[in-house]
Amino acid sequence: MKVEINGKMLNANEGETILELAKRNDINIPSLCHKKGFDGLGRCRMCLVEIKEGHRTKLVSSCVYPVKDELKVQTHTDEIIKIRKDIVMLMYLKSPKNKYVQKLAEEYEIMIPEKYVQKISDDCILCGLCVEACRELGTSAISMVNRGTGKKVSTPYDDESKDCIGCGSCAEVCPTNAITMTENENTRTIWNRTFELVSCEICGKNYTTLETLKYSENLLGQKIECICDECKKKITAATFKESFKNIY
Amino acid sequence: MSSQRQILVCCGTGCLANNSYEVYLKFKDLISNKEIQIKPIIKPTGCNGLCEKGPVVKILPDNISYFKVKAEDVEEIIEETIVKGKIIDRLLYFDTNTKNKITDHKNATFYKNQHKIAIRNIGEIDPSKIEDYIERDGYAALKKVLFTMKPEEVLEQVDKSNLRGRGGGGFPTGLKWKTCAKYNHYPKYVICNGDEGDPGAFMDRSIMEGDPNTVIEGMIICAYAIGANQGYLYIRDEYELARKNMQIAINSAREYGYLGKNILGRGLNFDLEIVRGGGAFVCGESSALMASIQGKVGEPRAKYIRSVERGLWDQPTILNNVETWANIPPIISYGPDWFKEIGIKNNFGTKVFSLVGKVKNTGLVEVPMGSSLRSLVFEIGGGVIKDKKFKAVQTGGPSGGCIPKEHLDISLDFDSLNEIGSMMGSGGVIVMDENTCMVEVARYYMEFLSEESCGKCTTCREGIKLMLDILTNITKGNGKEEDLDLLLGICDTVEKGSLCGLGQTAPNPVRTTIKFFRDEYLEHINNHKCPAGVCKNLTSYQINSEACIGCGICKKKCPVDAITGENKKLHVIHQDICITCGECYENCPTNAIEIGGGIFES
Amino acid sequence: MTEVIALETKTEMSIQNTKKILEKYPKDKRYTLAILQDIQRNYDYIPKEAIWEVSNYIESPLSEVYTIATFYKALSLKPKGKYVIKVCNGTACHIRGSDKVLDAIKSSLNIQPGETSEDGLFSIEIVNCVGACALAPVMVINDKYYGNMTKDKVHQVLDEIRRSQNE
Repeated sequence: MKVEINGKMLNANEGETILELAKRNDINIPSLCHKKGFDGLGRCRMCLVEIKEGHRTKLVSSCVYPVKDELKVQTHTDEIIKIRKDIVMLMYLKSPKNKYVQKLAEEYEIMIPEKYVQKISDDCILCGLCVEACRELGTSAISMVNRGTGKKVSTPYDDESKDCIGCGSCAEVCPTNAITMTENENTRTIWNRTFELVSCEICGKNYTTLETLKYSENLLGQKIECICDECKKKITAATFKESFKNIY
Repeated sequence: MSSQRQILVCCGTGCLANNSYEVYLKFKDLISNKEIQIKPIIKPTGCNGLCEKGPVVKILPDNISYFKVKAEDVEEIIEETIVKGKIIDRLLYFDTNTKNKITDHKNATFYKNQHKIAIRNIGEIDPSKIEDYIERDGYAALKKVLFTMKPEEVLEQVDKSNLRGRGGGGFPTGLKWKTCAKYNHYPKYVICNGDEGDPGAFMDRSIMEGDPNTVIEGMIICAYAIGANQGYLYIRDEYELARKNMQIAINSAREYGYLGKNILGRGLNFDLEIVRGGGAFVCGESSALMASIQGKVGEPRAKYIRSVERGLWDQPTILNNVETWANIPPIISYGPDWFKEIGIKNNFGTKVFSLVGKVKNTGLVEVPMGSSLRSLVFEIGGGVIKDKKFKAVQTGGPSGGCIPKEHLDISLDFDSLNEIGSMMGSGGVIVMDENTCMVEVARYYMEFLSEESCGKCTTCREGIKLMLDILTNITKGNGKEEDLDLLLGICDTVEKGSLCGLGQTAPNPVRTTIKFFRDEYLEHINNHKCPAGVCKNLTSYQINSEACIGCGICKKKCPVDAITGENKKLHVIHQDICITCGECYENCPTNAIEIGGGIFES
Repeated sequence: MTEVIALETKTEMSIQNTKKILEKYPKDKRYTLAILQDIQRNYDYIPKEAIWEVSNYIESPLSEVYTIATFYKALSLKPKGKYVIKVCNGTACHIRGSDKVLDAIKSSLNIQPGETSEDGLFSIEIVNCVGACALAPVMVINDKYYGNMTKDKVHQVLDEIRRSQNE
């Protein structure tokens, strides 16, 4: 099907979102709560675009809006740019000390109403990616709690969670580095719980938690060798080389 | 049957709060122990609307209505009115408009100008008796539909009536049903939104408590028209009596064969289940409500596919509000042409309003669409309490706006209210007087929404918080004029950037108060004065030396002894002690106490 | 020592009760909210162990049950007093002086909204509209409505409850 973005006709695939189509065609639509491999969440609202269907124009979040034939999309109207600037401003008011948000504010040349900057800076922008990552893994140790302005991400009662395996996926997907994960010699602490680390049998570096390893073994129903991703890659590369040798 | 006397005791929530149930029990007790030739039937009914004057007791067929009845009055009513046929003057309704005492409440200005469709049975029947409903033509529409009409004909009738959803949006009900009927994707669902969340509105509660069967009948008719077999009533957790009466009605309807398998032998299977709301304003939004029924958090989802196609459990779903459902049986019984004779073009029928706030007659009223706001407030409502100056009316709850006196002649219909920047909402009409601060009202709504937003969208969650911070600042005397521009700018972003109706309409209270009451904002900002005397930091009280008669009431009422003065001489308020609680202002018999600006330390 | 035992039996007892509530419902996520509401009604709040029980029963992650328990206002994670005083702050009540009603209650009980008095008798909550707007300002104590509230009426009602407690 044909979709027009900023005047350019593009070939769209059934079932993809406007954002996915734009990304495939190197059209930049900013988004904070979207990550490849995840369903769109429509939370941060940065990816708003204007669409025209028939005579009506409206603003929609491109990360969840499915493409339709003959859809016309504008990604950078004055109205949209103003809204994006305001969103960044609102995030800055909540997270003034966060490096990532500061960079965004600079990039978007935001005028900050200093009077309304929060005294206590909160790094989390509630994009929800960490919760999604944890759910996708099947652990669901963290979730969104409360509502309204009191909304936050946490484990139940902020306690250490029996469901958490300390894999660190949440921290990895977090765009603002809001999740604290600290590592000592043999332990990792995240979400108020401390985990024992496992070292790679080849290079000897700590690379995951014992709980994560057990969780994966459980899922696969077999024992897993304790080899870190880097060493795994090296082994694959070596095998590859080896097999080529035999051909020639 | 008709010669037998009936004593109807209002047992709506308002009257119950004033101990009407005791009155009801006392009647039961005394009548059963008394030798009377033909014993009257005593019935507890739903809300009569005029809650403020409750408990209400009506005696039929004499058409005598007594107001503010206490248990102590019951014996006298039986002795005088029931036995001797005498009217007790003391308990009659005093009409503030005509300054008359009125025997039959239907002649009071409050009731005379009403036109009841949705609340036609409330106050006339015992809501726990399905027989009472049937006696007043209840379930006649259902029989008409099942025995004489095809589903398409039902759709056609509803569509022709131009009925628009009474929950706030005003979407054409018939069009919704027709669209849903088109999908051949079963099962389909029918839902009643009884989560009434707008503060200041209680018509849905009243209907569910006072006439639950009309809602059920409306839903069965829809189920027949679109081909659904299961329905849900999502009712607010706080509405205990509504849930109870609704459950009794469901059970009775099953016994009568109106619900369940093979309804009235016509092959339709349909049943209803009550789901308790969890206490979240956002669940009034349809996708959030459906998520809640499914046992999830009430977060709205992007509605790029409408719920008539994919709603509850992704199946075609019709969701209507309580009042909309209550309109269906009469439309079917009397036809769309009858309905279209009431109201005005594009806004046919009636609307139930809850008339509350600083108005003399508070309560529930149903008037034809297109009635003027002025007639609602000043005729039916009897004007502002203590005849103070009218300032504004707030309609549409937190999604609505404030309408100033210049627009008092506005027609009460969906389109006119939208045009002025407010909304019909569920029909809350909150009257505000000179002692209501419009900046504080805007702040109040932002505070409400900051708690009630689900918190999903950045624009709504953080935008509302910023608006609240700015408004709080202004009410404390720390506002600057440029704050108004910042406010209006952020209003735009919240409206356009948010996913659901809650966020999209959240700026309305802010926008309309700035638009119509900018001067009041500027008084706060530039002169540090709250003209209404509400914002404590920006208020002081002084005694006008000419008006003070030295009666000493203010001195007695002052909780912190900030007022001194000798008997019959001018009294003085000591500003260093005064906590600006306003007790003196409220109680001065000669209105000698004046509101001044804040005594401000910057 | 006796105290510890008492606490334990109470916990056991509460798990028992939760089980009874759970048995009424099919094992389906759909009923999470309904189950939590029944538990709320039973204990006047949602005990921690009850959330565990619910999570196990409907086979839903603990975090998801917790999310629901913190989202809906009808549910509370904190125990409340014997008498829960709900002060309505709907618009009608707000403009008719609900703040004064609240002030009177606060000063009489010496606690803030969301808190419970030391004797465990009273809690104060601010709620958004109880749908009795015609009687504004309104307060509700354990499902009984009190309309047209004034400072004096607050004191009367609270004194009456205190007196009934002493009898």
